Amino acid sequence: MPFCDLNEVQLDTLKEISNIGMGHAATALSQMIGQRITLRVPRVSVTEIKEVPDRLGGAEALMVGITLQILGDARGSIMLLFPQESAHRLLCCLLNREERGLVMNELTVSALKEVGNILASAYLSAIGNLLHKTLIPSVPMLAYDMAGAVADYVLIELSQGGDLALMVETDFSAGADDAKRIRGHFFLMPDPQTLDIFLRMIRGES
Amino acid sequence: MIERVGIAELKIASAPQRLKAYGLGSCLAVALYDPCTRLGGLVHSLLPQQRCGEPPAGAPKFVDAAIRLMVAELSQAGADPARLLAKSAGGANMFESHYLTLMQSIGVRNARSARETLEELGIPLVGEEVGGNRGRTVTFDLATGRLLVYCARDDRTVVL
Repeated sequence: MPFCDLNEVQLDTLKEISNIGMGHAATALSQMIGQRITLRVPRVSVTEIKEVPDRLGGAEALMVGITLQILGDARGSIMLLFPQESAHRLLCCLLNREERGLVMNELTVSALKEVGNILASAYLSAIGNLLHKTLIPSVPMLAYDMAGAVADYVLIELSQGGDLALMVETDFSAGADDAKRIRGHFFLMPDPQTLDIFLRMIRGES
Repeated sequence: MIERVGIAELKIASAPQRLKAYGLGSCLAVALYDPCTRLGGLVHSLLPQQRCGEPPAGAPKFVDAAIRLMVAELSQAGADPARLLAKSAGGANMFESHYLTLMQSIGVRNARSARETLEELGIPLVGEEVGGNRGRTVTFDLATGRLLVYCARDDRTVVL
């Protein structure tokens, strides 16, 4: 199904699926860092691929991106993005010590990848249970660079299917203090066939 | 004046304009320049090759088709194809990974496609800043023909 043909009900359905997945993922992250996680209502958007970097906060903003492929009964990608300062604060929580600035080394990369792994696994297993499908996350991959450069890996994959990208995006944050808040963006980018599978399963067709 | 060249976009300009493509990862930016007329173009492409049957409007998405289209548009604008010089940047592999996938080599394939297409067209590739695992922003100065390649992570600029 072309992404632009989705109707209101289908978009709401995707939001609801993602909300359930994100709820589980947030619980997992909350236990990991010992802070309450606040979730925003997911946004589902069909975006022209060339506009995606702007939606991520500007093509040149430095970000940590963690990406995983969805394997199993459905295909697509998950991308988790943390702005530079948020990634730094998250690491301080995870490693339980004050880190001076964001430094990428074996320990920090591994810790951040683990966050990606836990979030994606919780998200996919919740959705999988709901839809009675097996969804498995691949090994996470990490990049720390300009948002545009981090995202184009996923965009290239999506662009082979067409000029539009479907993104189910949820913003989440931890910490009550504005200055110390950890912000992250979670993107689900199903490929077109997988979107069909999702929508069919929701309607009760196998 | 700086004009932005987005993903899958091709722009033609002349001195003293500047063209800029932000945040290239595996994507490739190719700049063509005619030093006499100071006309040039910049493209921000995603994929190495256009397949048969793809709509022609999608050409800037593909490195090979984008270069051909840029040559055509530049000659129409008054540039001499025989004088064109090419520079390219991008084609990185942003995500280190232990398992090989098709995606992993996309940056390399983009850069290779540019080299091959340019050779076929007889356009000399006079500068290249490709590969590695860093993102790049390029600014193409039509007044001088220079391509400035900026890496935010190392906060470093290379001039081609």
